[in-house]
Amino acid sequence: MANKIIAWIDHRFPLTSFIKHELTGYPTPRNLSYWWNFGFLAGIVLMLQVLTGLFLAMHYKPDAAMAFDSIQHIMRDVNYGWLLRFMHSTGASAFFLVIYIHMARTLYYGSYRAPRELMWWTGQGLLLLLMATAFMGYLLPWGQMSFWGATVITNLFRATPFIGDQVVVWLRGDYAVGDDTLTRFFALHYLFPFLIIGAVVIHLVALHSVRSSNPSGIDLADKDNIPFHPYYTIKDFYGLGVFLMAYFLVVFFFPHSVLEPANNIPANPLITPDHIVPEWYFLPFYAILRAVPNMVGGVVAMGLSVIVFAFMPFLDRSRIPGGGRYRPVYRIMFYLFILDILVLGYVGYVPPTSKTIIIGQVATFIYFGSFILLPFISKAEDKWLFKRGLPPKILALIASEEQEIAKRGKR
Amino acid sequence: MSPTFAAENKLEKFQTDTSVIAVERGVDTFMNACHGCHSLKYVHYRDLARFGIDKERIATWRGDSTLDSAMTSLLSDEAALQSFGKVPPDLSMIVMAREGGASYVFAYLTGYYLTPEGMTSNHLFPLTKMPDALEISTATDSVKRSEIMEQAHDIVSFLSWAADPQKAERESLGYYVIGYLIILTVLLYNVKLQVWSKLKT
Ligand code: HEC
Ligand code: HEM
Repeated sequence: MANKIIAWIDHRFPLTSFIKHELTGYPTPRNLSYWWNFGFLAGIVLMLQVLTGLFLAMHYKPDAAMAFDSIQHIMRDVNYGWLLRFMHSTGASAFFLVIYIHMARTLYYGSYRAPRELMWWTGQGLLLLLMATAFMGYLLPWGQMSFWGATVITNLFRATPFIGDQVVVWLRGDYAVGDDTLTRFFALHYLFPFLIIGAVVIHLVALHSVRSSNPSGIDLADKDNIPFHPYYTIKDFYGLGVFLMAYFLVVFFFPHSVLEPANNIPANPLITPDHIVPEWYFLPFYAILRAVPNMVGGVVAMGLSVIVFAFMPFLDRSRIPGGGRYRPVYRIMFYLFILDILVLGYVGYVPPTSKTIIIGQVATFIYFGSFILLPFISKAEDKWLFKRGLPPKILALIASEEQEIAKRGKR
Repeated sequence: MSPTFAAENKLEKFQTDTSVIAVERGVDTFMNACHGCHSLKYVHYRDLARFGIDKERIATWRGDSTLDSAMTSLLSDEAALQSFGKVPPDLSMIVMAREGGASYVFAYLTGYYLTPEGMTSNHLFPLTKMPDALEISTATDSVKRSEIMEQAHDIVSFLSWAADPQKAERESLGYYVIGYLIILTVLLYNVKLQVWSKLKT
């Protein structure tokens, strides 16, 4: 019976061949490490956010007079409302953690290079959409930090040349953050995840065209590929189990660790909190904003600090595959860069003192310096490594990669 | 905790008493000493009953209000502004709404003292508009003081419950969920090993 139905469908729609092509028969390098689990995890967190968000929206009121109360209603009166809300608030942090690891993996192994530039750029688009979604979602509980965070960030758009003031009013729907801002942020916060889903589809179509890279960075010849199912389905699900343990540990036992105390005070336009801090995932960028003394300069620097990743495929001039794996200098740069981001995060977190301002400026310098110097360093490193002579194993891999690319070119 | 706060104040860690008796004592003191000024608009009398406090006892607190009504105060905002220049905050979420949480609220309530000039002040919040509700600043003998400390302890235990009433339910469910996930993950790991072992050629 089931076979008959499938046969019926297959006459009209490429169901079996699609599954075979994209899942059961989809060739995947056999040497992927656990760092390759995070794309799948990002997809799962996206689903979790959409589902919990949908049910939260059934009880939430996007109205300045009711929003804060409606959250308490969800937390106290709705059956398992607290679970929905904590899953959603913890999920936002989990999403960024997973995405940052996913990006760090890509940076370390140089997976942004040809032929995966489009993956990297759709990923960059996903990061921007995710940031916008999280920022707008944070306004919805209408607490003090929601209100003042949105006020500070929308205010940055005053830096737009000539029409700055109008842009701010246009974003807020009013002269100050208020009811109109809340309602439109809710509408957009509901819309954006669906844009993310669309972008993820493009991301995955691109992936299935260029295939996964792997820790050695080489397009492995077919003999080293294994079908995605069952090998990677089971590996991804095992990783999911580990992830869910960590996630639910926070949801059930430390849900308040991802919520600011000040956000449990209803928004009050007349009282500014002593210390306005963004969520942890924005801290490094916030530190860059504050590192530049001039507001317009700060906004430009902050914008660039996110966008600059898009240039990676052009900035990295090395021909050696495998990213940090076979490139000692690049590897050191990678770790320094991660360290620098952590320092920036700390600087963004603490109230500014003369010392942290200096540290923040130095760290901002190193941040952009890494990108600016990368073309020169990677080129020099490339020359040095080839002159010194690469291990025969890697040379063989490079040769096989060239063969692969040639084959691909013929198709 | 915000770094500004952490640097300035070292609070003694507050040990919340989650027992029904402690919370019940806390409600009682709260109704006498705080409810005249402060609301608990997100807490309903029926929530107390659901937590396990005796209905008869609740009846003595709620007066004419129904079991379904919120524990709002009778003090109007206008009257409060006139008397204190400030509306006393709703206390339903207070433990979640201050850096330091329960430890802060406890230290605040017990932080009143008399200045050499004979004025009441507070160690944590020197300019607070709230009077010394528990009268700890004028209590000199140690028995009385420790009694007040006990009262404050019960109130804060009650307020901790009020700010996060599902904590007990959440944690007990959490043990099952995590336990289930541990078993599931171990199984998945074994399946993974088994599936991948076929590969070694
Ligand atoms: C006479 C009226 C009155 C009584 C009684 C009273 N309060 Fe207050 N309370 C206030 C006012 C007014 C404020 C606002 C203080 C300020 O912000 O300056 C306040 C503020 C507070 C705060 C917030 C402090 C902060 O960090 O902002 C807490 C906590 C609090 N009260 C707890 C209590 C408790 C517990 C009781 C009972 C033991 C109580 N209050 C009794 C009037 C009162
Ligand atoms: C909504 C967020 C995202 C989802 C759901 C997602 C999903 C995925 C999935 C399922 C994969 C394949 C598995 C893997 O290699 O981990 C993948 C690969 C990849 N992703 Fe993402 N991703 C997201 C965001 C990003 C971002 C922000 C970037 C970078 C800016 C990025 C860059 C890449 C690249 C370059 C690859 C190919 C890597 C390789 O094969 O070596 N992705 N993504």
